Amino acid sequence: MTSKPSACWQKNPALAWREIDEATVIISPTDSVMHELNDTGSFLWKNIDGQRSAAELAELLAESYEVTPDVALNDTQALLEEMSTRKLVVPVSASGGESR
Amino acid sequence: MSTSAAAGATPVMDRLISRTVLRHQPLSVHFDLTYRCNERCVHCYLDHEDHGELTTAECLAVMKELASAGTLFLTFSGGEIFLRPDLYEILAEARRLHFDLSLKTNALLVTEERAARLREYGVRRVQISVYSDIPEVHDAITKVPGSLQRTLAAIPLLLEQGLQVKLACPLMRENLLAYRGVMALAEKLGVPYVLDLTITPMMDGNEAPLAHRIPVSSLLPVMQDPTLHACKPQPTAEATRARQEFPAAIGSAVSSGIENAAYEDLPCSAGHNSCYISPYGDVFPCVQLPQAAGNLRRERFSDIWYHAPQLERLRGIRESQLPVCSRCEIRSYCERCPGLALMEGGDLLGAYERACELAEQKAQLAGVVTPISALHREQAAFAMQTNSRNEIASFVANSSSD
Repeated sequence: MTSKPSACWQKNPALAWREIDEATVIISPTDSVMHELNDTGSFLWKNIDGQRSAAELAELLAESYEVTPDVALNDTQALLEEMSTRKLVVPVSASGGESR
Repeated sequence: MSTSAAAGATPVMDRLISRTVLRHQPLSVHFDLTYRCNERCVHCYLDHEDHGELTTAECLAVMKELASAGTLFLTFSGGEIFLRPDLYEILAEARRLHFDLSLKTNALLVTEERAARLREYGVRRVQISVYSDIPEVHDAITKVPGSLQRTLAAIPLLLEQGLQVKLACPLMRENLLAYRGVMALAEKLGVPYVLDLTITPMMDGNEAPLAHRIPVSSLLPVMQDPTLHACKPQPTAEATRARQEFPAAIGSAVSSGIENAAYEDLPCSAGHNSCYISPYGDVFPCVQLPQAAGNLRRERFSDIWYHAPQLERLRGIRESQLPVCSRCEIRSYCERCPGLALMEGGDLLGAYERACELAEQKAQLAGVVTPISALHREQAAFAMQTNSRNEIASFVANSSSD
């Protein structure tokens, strides 16, 4: 992951998505690829709002899923990395723009 | 996290369909924004007068309700959608609500600037009606001189924006022999296409469009055409990729067009995880099933979707329990549509002539010896019984007079 640990994350605004049952289904209009997030991924997705960093998201995850902070942070970073690779989320700098 | 191509039969799509059918979630909605049109296609089932379309604010409110209800796939169609002056406002709201957006259009009004705006608003797919690659044939159907030229000019503009274009070609008497030209055109453009044999009565039941329908006997050469069989022409690399996303097939009345085990004993997706909304706010199970379940000017979408008796009744129908069709030996060749069963046969649960004829034709092509549908078998048995009774009655009458 190339973003700074303190970077906040936002959903890629180009995506179509919907929470369906326990999962979240996401479609990219540019390549028509459909992604499905499991319940942990869906939990993070719901809370990715451009205002929260990986650490803050991990805190929420730890509270809701009763896992240790270390496990929550590892899971959160791994998921964000995967979502970032798939261009589902983008890091934003403190000023609000996308960070590199 | 799992990934697959959208809109075709994929593991993610399979799960999505299964879940939404099980929960009766309106995954896919076809929303006609207007019935007004700048073409006058000879086979069209719509009344093009404006009888009080939903206002911009009403359209936006409807979309908000759909998003809350869980709709992901939203198709805007008409009439001609570009005749709505508020189209971009509607698309902007649709994007804000994170729908996966598709449009159906004749593309006459598409310009470079408009194509760019469609991309800006996140439209993924655009389906365009093309009746022939021959201007005289296409224009005679649309009743607009120069329409093919204008439609074809729009396609590169949409493709340049990265939009996925698909050609739709309803087949009728006027263009039966033109389908190969449309196939070649699609291949040249590197886009998928669909040929559709469905010509329906008008929504008010007027059967005038049926005069343009091709008799089943005349369809035989088309159904036997090896290049058309399963609609699998040899495409370009781009078309191959596009086709994986949009598996082409001869169009049927099944609204989603996607095979899924969740639909196994259901007539189709209508009312289970898909529905249709008219420009006047009427909610129907499908555009081809004109039984309004409610109106969005008077009721909330969720109240209609979850509680309308028409939809509840539809959800209770199982193909294995249909009174005639469940006994049909060639059922696997049939693409029975509940809406057409109602419009053409007068019974949502019944068999109707066109579906039976097509099933018999397909079964014969597949090698079934003298295939006969349950409807035709029962009609023949009834005719024999009637003849026997008449003969007996005639014999008794003759005996008495002797």
